[in-house]
Amino acid sequence: MSKKLVIDPVTRIEGHGKVTIQLDDNNQVVDAKLHVVEFRGFEKFIQGHPYWEAPMLLQRICGICFVSHHLCGAKALDDMVGVGYSTGTKMLPTPEKMRRLGHYAQQLQSHVTAYFYLIVPEMLFGMDAPPEQRNVLGLVEADPDLVKRVVALRKWGQETIKAVLGKRMHGISSVPGGVNQNLSIEARDRLLNGEDGLISIDEVIEFAQDGLNLFYDFHEKNREQVDTFADVPALNMCLVDDDGNVDYYHGKMRIVDKNKEIVTELNYHDYLDHFSEATEEWSYMKFPFLKDLGREKGSVRVGPLARVNVTKTYADDTPLAKAALERFHDYTKGKANDMTLHTNWARAIEILHSAEQIKVLLSDPDLQKDQLVITPPEGAWTGEGVGVVEAPRGTLLHHYRANEEGNITFANLVVATTQNNTVMNRSVRSVAEDYLGGNAEITEGMMNAIEVSIRAYDPCLSCATHAAGQMPLIVSVLDSKGELVNEFVR
Amino acid sequence: MNLSADKAFSHITAILADYNNADSLIYGIGNIGRQDDGLGWAFIDWLEQESICPKAELMRHYQLHLEDADMISYKKKVLFVDASKVPTLDTFQLENVKPKMDFSFTSHAISVEAILATCQTCFDNTPDVQFLTIKGYEWELQQGLTNKAKLNLNQATAYFKTNINYKLSGVNHE
Repeated sequence: MSKKLVIDPVTRIEGHGKVTIQLDDNNQVVDAKLHVVEFRGFEKFIQGHPYWEAPMLLQRICGICFVSHHLCGAKALDDMVGVGYSTGTKMLPTPEKMRRLGHYAQQLQSHVTAYFYLIVPEMLFGMDAPPEQRNVLGLVEADPDLVKRVVALRKWGQETIKAVLGKRMHGISSVPGGVNQNLSIEARDRLLNGEDGLISIDEVIEFAQDGLNLFYDFHEKNREQVDTFADVPALNMCLVDDDGNVDYYHGKMRIVDKNKEIVTELNYHDYLDHFSEATEEWSYMKFPFLKDLGREKGSVRVGPLARVNVTKTYADDTPLAKAALERFHDYTKGKANDMTLHTNWARAIEILHSAEQIKVLLSDPDLQKDQLVITPPEGAWTGEGVGVVEAPRGTLLHHYRANEEGNITFANLVVATTQNNTVMNRSVRSVAEDYLGGNAEITEGMMNAIEVSIRAYDPCLSCATHAAGQMPLIVSVLDSKGELVNEFVR
Repeated sequence: MNLSADKAFSHITAILADYNNADSLIYGIGNIGRQDDGLGWAFIDWLEQESICPKAELMRHYQLHLEDADMISYKKKVLFVDASKVPTLDTFQLENVKPKMDFSFTSHAISVEAILATCQTCFDNTPDVQFLTIKGYEWELQQGLTNKAKLNLNQATAYFKTNINYKLSGVNHE
């Protein structure tokens, strides 16, 4: 009798998902699926709202990567009012650098959350450790000084976001054509030098290095497991600058293969000309792919692992991250790295990269200048805009259209987690084959191995209601008729 | 009769006037875009509208974060307020919080007890923490509390108002 394993919901990811693993009569994996069973409909209910509300409302899709949504929407609005990249207009230095500063601060904070709170406990205690230990609160008991540093890092990121965007969460600083404030000297100095209760940027960089060293130690002790866990193929995609290096705020979309040869490079305004989206009845999340290559060969990976695969190098003014990237590239001898758990290595490098980029920006006097907005010339209104940024989880796209009254008539959001849908499913299947093949018994370690494969992508499936209550993990084994034969709850 | 509220009254005296100083924090948790999940913020709204505890720091946030352990380490007294979907709760409940590492952490949730335990372990302070939970019923993408949730909020605020009056009139409520 064939059996189906269901992990529902998957824990310690942003939002809720469900995993189903179909076994045959010999308990061999025949299929594995990551279902996304929540539906939010942001693209629908933004319709009819004034265009300028879009970056404010749509950032509320998430409490973690809201700055990315805000900036993506802002870039789309730049296009709509006729001063965006689609019109060939170059943004003024101060607003662009302010937006970048907020963007890097959010990347730092988001990556720190994913890496230290969700992934490091597994690195330190092991995937098979009991869940009450394999948890950031396990870290609190085991290494309170580390947690204190992580809290300080997160707090610093939040304070930077607040200084740049006006609020710790869901800020409103970006306006069509620019921003509504610069960075005061007092705020800059506070972030550079720290104060009582707030670390300095040099301490941020030091703590980021500590985080990277945690991965190196973990990798040294668990090399085989780390390198063979969910080693799955995919093309790699991210925004790049004119030199072919990652640009988190703006650039061309570059897609490379295993040999880091360029498969396609495109202006993101032409995204829909190059990508199509498949749908499945078992998931609300679509499956984007390059039309030219088809779904199987044309699916891409985005996010930290993809970015460090695509980028050739980092700038000289981020020397620590640059050296870390070279070590990463050397490990696979110049080939693209498909090892899913190396996403955590890439994420740790990007924490350091973000910190160094922020230090460079904070020292830039353009942040204190007063030219904040480009005023659109009369008749510049286009009514359509596309924004793309490299969000912490990967390439994020917002596309809006508005009517002559300025009300939104169309919105499309392609989020990083959607881009990663196919490669996440491949990872789940790979792990299922390795850990579950021939054994239908549900164990804590087995469940967590599946979750680890998903968590490496730090997927943002949705933000749920946060009332005090419960968030159970239920694993069910169903036979081929859909009848429950086993269940595991924690 | 409101059994939950009676139970709360029986073992605790919550006098908001005690929070009316700069060393106190009243922290509403929730999402006003998800119907009754906005109860925590609505309680903060009520404090502001009634000018209650003007000296305390008032805060609204979507969820607790581990950094809150650092934040409350600077306070002597903290009141967390959140919506609750616990089936056995009738209207509202006020509890004294003891530090407890209950391993409840996810990317979206961490308990008040765990925040306090983290504060104690990492930041060497254990403020006096209370947790007010108010029963909610609907959590869909929509603004505004349900009528039943509003009634529960009113009961909670009436309780605190009563306590304020006792305090002001010098009645010993212990």
